[in-house]
Amino acid sequence: MSALLQLKDATIRFGGLVAVNAVNFEVEKGDLFGLIGPNGAGKTTCFNLITGVYKPTSGDILFKGSPITGTPSNKICDLGIARTFQNIRLFNALSVLENVVVGGCLRGRASLLSSLAYLPNAIKDTEDLKQKALEILRIMDLEHVANVRSADLAYGMQRRLEIARAMATEPDLLLLDEPAAGMNPQESEDLMRTVRRVRDEYGKTVLLIEHDMRFVMNLCEKIFVLDHGEQIAYGPPSVIRNDPQVIKAYLGEAV
Amino acid sequence: MAGGPAKFWLVRIGSIALAVAACLLLESFAKGQSSFVQRLMLLAGLYVTLAVSLNLINGITGQFSIGHAAFYQVGAYTSGFLAAQMYAKSGLVGAPWLVVVMLAGALAACLAGLLVGLPSLRLRGDYLAIVTLGFGEIIRIVVQNQQQLGGAYGMNVRPLIQNVAVVWLLAILCIAVCRNLLKTAQGLRFLAVREDEIASSAMGVNVTRIKVTAFVIGSAFAGAAGALLAHFEGFVSPAMFTMDLSFIILTMVVLGGTGSITGSALAAVVLFYLPEKMRDLPNIPMANVIAGLISTVVAVAIVKRAVDTVHDRKARIPRYALAAGASLLTFFALGLILSKAPGVSVAPSIEGAKLRLVVFAITLVVLMLLRPQGVFAHHEFSWSWVNKMLGKKDVPQTEVAA
Amino acid sequence: MTLPLHLVAGLEMATLPQQVANGILLGSIYALIALGYTMVYGVLKLINFAHGEVFMLGAYSALFASWWLGYTPNNALSGSSPLNLFLMLGFSMFACSVVGVVIERFAYRPMRSQPRIASLITAIGLSLLLQYGGQLFLPSAPAPNIDSKVNPYQGNVEIPLKPKDGAFVAKAEESAKLATVSKEAFDTYIKTSGRDPFNLDNEGLALRNASQEKEREAKALLDKASDSGLSISLPKGQLIMFFTTLVLMAILRYIVLYTRRGRAMRAVSHDFDSAALMGINVNSIVTFTFILGSALAGAGAMMNATFLSGTKIDTFFGMLPGVKAFVAAVLGGIGNIPGAVLGGLLMGVAETLVVWAGYDAYRDAVAFVILIVVLLFRPGGLLGSAKVEKV
Repeated sequence: MSALLQLKDATIRFGGLVAVNAVNFEVEKGDLFGLIGPNGAGKTTCFNLITGVYKPTSGDILFKGSPITGTPSNKICDLGIARTFQNIRLFNALSVLENVVVGGCLRGRASLLSSLAYLPNAIKDTEDLKQKALEILRIMDLEHVANVRSADLAYGMQRRLEIARAMATEPDLLLLDEPAAGMNPQESEDLMRTVRRVRDEYGKTVLLIEHDMRFVMNLCEKIFVLDHGEQIAYGPPSVIRNDPQVIKAYLGEAV
Repeated sequence: MAGGPAKFWLVRIGSIALAVAACLLLESFAKGQSSFVQRLMLLAGLYVTLAVSLNLINGITGQFSIGHAAFYQVGAYTSGFLAAQMYAKSGLVGAPWLVVVMLAGALAACLAGLLVGLPSLRLRGDYLAIVTLGFGEIIRIVVQNQQQLGGAYGMNVRPLIQNVAVVWLLAILCIAVCRNLLKTAQGLRFLAVREDEIASSAMGVNVTRIKVTAFVIGSAFAGAAGALLAHFEGFVSPAMFTMDLSFIILTMVVLGGTGSITGSALAAVVLFYLPEKMRDLPNIPMANVIAGLISTVVAVAIVKRAVDTVHDRKARIPRYALAAGASLLTFFALGLILSKAPGVSVAPSIEGAKLRLVVFAITLVVLMLLRPQGVFAHHEFSWSWVNKMLGKKDVPQTEVAA
Repeated sequence: MTLPLHLVAGLEMATLPQQVANGILLGSIYALIALGYTMVYGVLKLINFAHGEVFMLGAYSALFASWWLGYTPNNALSGSSPLNLFLMLGFSMFACSVVGVVIERFAYRPMRSQPRIASLITAIGLSLLLQYGGQLFLPSAPAPNIDSKVNPYQGNVEIPLKPKDGAFVAKAEESAKLATVSKEAFDTYIKTSGRDPFNLDNEGLALRNASQEKEREAKALLDKASDSGLSISLPKGQLIMFFTTLVLMAILRYIVLYTRRGRAMRAVSHDFDSAALMGINVNSIVTFTFILGSALAGAGAMMNATFLSGTKIDTFFGMLPGVKAFVAAVLGGIGNIPGAVLGGLLMGVAETLVVWAGYDAYRDAVAFVILIVVLLFRPGGLLGSAKVEKV
């Protein structure tokens, strides 16, 4: 069986800068896969390549064995890849619940036309999506703020809401861009548990970017390290922790 | 949602019947009034349609379009052209004919909306604004140079049909469609596109489709309104659909609060009615005009300061009173002084009608300075909101928990 | 689609250079206004919709200045001097700077923390306010114009592009001489005979006919001679306008590139917030930008109203030039100063060429068509670069 997600020599240039250079990795179904690297290593750019925000200059990206290079973002989401954003991008004026409902729309059954006419199936669809959204909010422990404007949430809650919204699209693969950024140790501990639950109970595959090493090392089973757009290491946490090149990338040359 | 399909259809047919009955009542009321009042009621309905449909594009979907008059024009000219070609042959009269031209006008405006919606896929904010303005002007200039459409002089449209009921039914339909959009999950995607295109797209929302749909629906309603206008005025000309009209519609949406259907509809009525009243104003002495402008500046300055520095809403009330007092004082004092001043006292008086667009412009600027989110902001009319306003503090938010 | 060849063939190619020259002169005005749009956009990321109205007020300022200098509609002085033009230019630039600063301080500055659309709506509102409010206080019906006598530089300058055919010229000169001779003969006859020119005898008639015949011949030859060459004729005033524009742009370039304030301006335009953190007084730089932009619009307005003779001024005077100049700024790449100049000149040429091609009715539509095409295919403009939103 082929991997869920494959990057084959994925490369992107912005003018003269090679942001991601011939990166190859494979994410298997059920993985908790970490993508790490110093600032500017090209991690978020990788996410943007996978989700179709940018088109790779060369190379291929395969999802469930078929190429998704050049597919628009919304199609990629439809195929089963959902993501969160490093700089939180919630629908600020909408309530927490509505944010998640928008995520669920993709799997809704009512057409736009019947929604405009407010036909019974649109009403039912809306009800179903709300129920589904509430369930996801319960998992992410956001149920109590369902009617709060998402812009008014605390930072950590906004990060969790982003995950909830992505979950609502019923993805097979969940891309989390620095989910624990700005969280205190307790919050990130909780988040770690939640992410693990998402994988174990709901069968999602998770690919995440994170700077918090403790978070990554404790959570992820496979880690891929990028620096200056190129692979410098790949393996389980125990290997990465002791890899000289990773240490060099993060801490610099020993004096 | 309790109840089966039977109950649903009962409610639906009931509400449609209610709307039709209300409009017919309005019609019969209008019949007894002077032609001027009839005209006001008709135009008010058209403006409500225009404002609410522009709100769908601007407020709900967040695509800042300022060329709405163009769609209105396309609808008006389509129906005028159709009437000249087909009316005699069609065998339709009155309301049925109006429905036919409305559909035709809506269809033509839809196509125009598609034309404008397509570039909107690549443009945002101010760039989009200027392109929609440009499209509006191009459509107007092209029509102005078509001799078979009467060129710059315009063309007559026969028959004359003044049907208040049809106009208000259109307005109600437009409001209902927008409300349905906000009430359903699929409709929330329009708001999502407004809030963040990239995130919407990442959540599987087809941003392109949503934007184009908004343009198409919004312009279709404007086109239908245009068709009614043509048959009501009996005449269409390019001069009726200038940039100024687009700006007036925009002011209505902005005043009401971008995104709020209630706000757009109410603002349309108020902003249409007040300037119409100003046509009847007697000539105003120059001294009063100057005094009025300056006292407005005084009031705005005080209120602006209050809004910026005092965060407790209740604590602002004395400042508002101060603003009102100071501006009134300024108005009367300056008026008195200026009417004696040598230069001003001989200056010619100003016709009230000339002040109409000045008032629009001042409304727009003052609103932006004091309450840029509009009077209603994102709020909609609802009964729980009324209860809250009436002082019943704790309204249970059961909607979600149910 | 086939090319409408009959249209191309119908164009008078001989007048093309003249049209292009006219277009460049017109475009220099657009360029001056476009600079204001582009600088304000660069610094505040705001389309200053009211800029066209600043231009309109500049034209009115120039009009009032000309009245104060004695060139009123009822009783205009007959001669003028360059000093008058200079005073009008200075007053117009000054008045516009004041208006620009007031607009920025009281309308745009309070809006800075609001979303950009709110500023844009304010700008639209201000533009309407100045147009319709101006109608209350400024003379606009009937629309006044600046008396052409205020311009001491009347007449045209001929610029030869291709010399006339020598043979034709010689013939024409020869013929002109003959015409003069026979005209003189007729005049002497009138003088000596003392006859009424309207009641001639046969000899007189013959002389008169001969004179008229020769004159016609001379004129035909002269036309032929001038057709054999190619030259463009430009009003002196408009040439002065063009050179003044160049001088103003040179000054602007110097200010932006080589002075402290100019450097601060570029910094603010690059990153508003960082510039503030680096100790630049952002407010004063924004004010300075508005002064520069508005003064240039004022200069453009004064020259437009003075040198394009017969220009009627009303409160909507700035609307179309404003829109076209905005398009020019976008065409060149908004925020880019050389781009605005290039865009302005191209807009001017495009407009005159559309008129030249016989589509007079579409001269105003062409601006919007160019705008839409540019935004769709090269949103960054000719000299600018499109920005990619960071995700």
